[in-house]
Amino acid sequence: MLLLLGALGVPLTLFWDFSWESTIGVDAFASPPHAANYAAVALACAGALALARRDTRDGAAGIALGPLRAPVGAWLTLWGGLAFGAALCFDRWWQASYGLTAGLWHPPQIAKTVAYFAVVAGAWLHALARQDAPGGTARAALAGAALLAMIAVVTVPQTFANRQHSAVFFQLGCATYPLVLVAQCTAGRARLPATGAALAYMAFEVLLVWLLPLFPGSPLAGPVYNMREHLLPPPFPLLLVVPALAIDGLLRVVPAGAGRAAAVSHALEAGVAFFGLFALVQWRFSTFLLSGGADDWFFAGGGREWPFFLHIDPSARNAFWDGVSPALDGASATLAAGLAIASAGAGLVVGGALRELRR
Amino acid sequence: MKPRAAALLFTCLLAATARAHIGSPNVFFEGRAGPHAVRVVIRPPQTFPGLAQADVRVSDSDVTAVIVQPAFLGAGADTEPPATDAVRVTGETGLWNASFWLLRRGSYDIGVKLASSRGDGAVAVPLQADALARPVMPPALGAALLAFAALLAAGAVALAAAAARDGARAPDQPASSRDSRRARIGAGLAALACAGALAGGHARWLAMDREFANALAKPVPVLADVRGDGAQPLLHLALPQGTPPMSAWDSLVTDHGKLMHLFLVREPDQDAFAHLHPVRRSAGDFEGVVPPIPGGTYQLYAEVTHEDGTAETLVSRVNLPPPAGAALQAGADPNASVLCMSPTALRGNAAQPSALDFDDAWHVRSRSAPSSADPAHVAALMGGGRMELASDGELVADRDTALRFRAFGADGAPLALEPYMGMLGHAALRRSDGSVFAHLHPAGSVSMAAAELLAKRDGTVSPFAAPTPAEAREVEFPYAFPKPGDYRLWVQIRTGGRVLTGVFDVRVRERA
Repeated sequence: MLLLLGALGVPLTLFWDFSWESTIGVDAFASPPHAANYAAVALACAGALALARRDTRDGAAGIALGPLRAPVGAWLTLWGGLAFGAALCFDRWWQASYGLTAGLWHPPQIAKTVAYFAVVAGAWLHALARQDAPGGTARAALAGAALLAMIAVVTVPQTFANRQHSAVFFQLGCATYPLVLVAQCTAGRARLPATGAALAYMAFEVLLVWLLPLFPGSPLAGPVYNMREHLLPPPFPLLLVVPALAIDGLLRVVPAGAGRAAAVSHALEAGVAFFGLFALVQWRFSTFLLSGGADDWFFAGGGREWPFFLHIDPSARNAFWDGVSPALDGASATLAAGLAIASAGAGLVVGGALRELRR
Repeated sequence: MKPRAAALLFTCLLAATARAHIGSPNVFFEGRAGPHAVRVVIRPPQTFPGLAQADVRVSDSDVTAVIVQPAFLGAGADTEPPATDAVRVTGETGLWNASFWLLRRGSYDIGVKLASSRGDGAVAVPLQADALARPVMPPALGAALLAFAALLAAGAVALAAAAARDGARAPDQPASSRDSRRARIGAGLAALACAGALAGGHARWLAMDREFANALAKPVPVLADVRGDGAQPLLHLALPQGTPPMSAWDSLVTDHGKLMHLFLVREPDQDAFAHLHPVRRSAGDFEGVVPPIPGGTYQLYAEVTHEDGTAETLVSRVNLPPPAGAALQAGADPNASVLCMSPTALRGNAAQPSALDFDDAWHVRSRSAPSSADPAHVAALMGGGRMELASDGELVADRDTALRFRAFGADGAPLALEPYMGMLGHAALRRSDGSVFAHLHPAGSVSMAAAELLAKRDGTVSPFAAPTPAEAREVEFPYAFPKPGDYRLWVQIRTGGRVLTGVFDVRVRERA
């Protein structure tokens, strides 16, 4: 349970950190979201260590590495924790030396991201391998949601509603989410595993949309292009439940075939279904999010909520940024569909392996 | 204000805020905020976002509050973050400190407001915040991170192999040859992934470091050569081929009435120094008369500011021929061991480079000149006089210091100081390795023109409203040496219509 709580805490605190930096702008080592983030990683690692202690003591179960035994998921989380510690040291030096002047996606930031994914993926593996236990399917759904939320937080700059007609937005979504949803569907033992994970992800993120603005906050550094008085809510969650439902329908309700041809067929079906539904739903929903109808606390839309440092023309607040991020067209849509098929194929492989996982 | 005038003011403001120095990022400002004399030292961060420090010293005890308000120039109206309340520094009299965040590098207006029973006051301090140095990772940290990387890679390979071999196998079931093959594949894939990640990360680091280094604030190299006949050589400065249009010299603004302040320092002994003001000949050329200083290799530092918001320190190196004929300076003693020279009157048309500028000055110290018993505190002046560094105590790096100088005639009587380009003196300093060069004024290291323009922008009175004292006997330069080492200071004053230069060699020790 500690492992899962820690894993859920990682994207939660990263969303908080995004909100903090977009509202207050001061990004100190021990700022509250950073401290909470370190605690979340530590919590996940503590859960993984408890599992390792149990398996080592019992001597039979788990994967042996030297004298120690632990479930695969716990090992992955511990590896992520160690990688996080190293990346944090690297990041401290980098921030003091380069700051953000050299760019956002710098090597220690990438290393930290890999570490976060390892921590959360470890919890996901462990939850999927323990679905037979009481509450196991719910924990698997929550762990899948944590992984989906990790993808969401890493890609958050591309998921502002103003960018949700862009080719990059659809290509990023198609390259990442199908892998998790298809793997969840393949390895899950609930009736609709992918749908459950997508719903949990949406609930998780929408809670942040509603809760974060309840906390006061204002910029401490300038220039302040958008004065803020409360923490910035993240973008409204993607409506992943729609393509997830289709994936569950295709892969679980329709009888599965056997062999490589069936796998290729499933990847094609799942990928195309994901792309088609994801594009259709987000294309229309983002139009709504930019409209006055979404200008309320529920959707946090209407072009009202912006990071304080973003210098944005008033006319661009409710518009799609086709000039900055070219909109989806035939060629980019084909690429996005291809990425979705490849991602779904990878999800089938990963899900198949996870279904067999016994330790 | 009319829009056009406002736009012009703003353009000039951007241009003048940046003060070009080498290796000396801190800003020193001395002026008046309403009824209060105030000294402000701003230490910008080296990385962004980062914390800047402002030390505000006021001698009046009735000041009850000090507020610091940074504003990013060019961001538009109403984009300032909330102001920061400065706090009194414990154990100090009249010293206040404030920490405030700067989000990114660029030009700032640092507003300092004082409240007191005698009335409020405000000053605007121009600040150019830039990254100055390329980072170098400490070897110990590098070794530790490498060890971490090796451990993580080994762990990933071992974990992938173990998971592939045992993950799907019941604990009581022996491993098959198929399991072993899966283990090898898993380990191979993990090793490939780790190697790819390390190589990719390293390549990205190098690329980002290159980009960072290219964007550092650094002096701009220019071409320098000597032209003209042997009797009156001309020093010619030109922009190199490929210089971006934004650096062209057709858009310069004046600072103290000059488009360019050029400093020459003879290498390696730094025994000859000149502060000159060449004339612009075209958008890519400056020319000026070479004063009668000894031949040799000279390091050049030139300060210019553009209308479009960039300020630059130009650097170059030039070989000057030995002077031919008599010195231009009337009355100069060619046998003197120390020559402090400047034109005593305009010669011809100062707009033509055939004449020295009235404010040009140079200093030559003969190799045979006897060394001062205390070169850190006493400098010989031409004609038997002397200049003294009156500041007490030793100089410490990164410590706010008031460098005070007095000059005395051959008879030992104090010399009266006259305005030299509008102020009581100018000083230039250079670290022995050339890594630091700064041009100081009694008002600090800020551009006075920039501070005036910022005051106009903020609707406050000029911080330099007080006239230069008529009977001044002492000149003071607020400064903090950015790092320890040996420095040479050239301090220039005007007295009796002539510019005299005192040369000091000081050692700055590391801050404990």
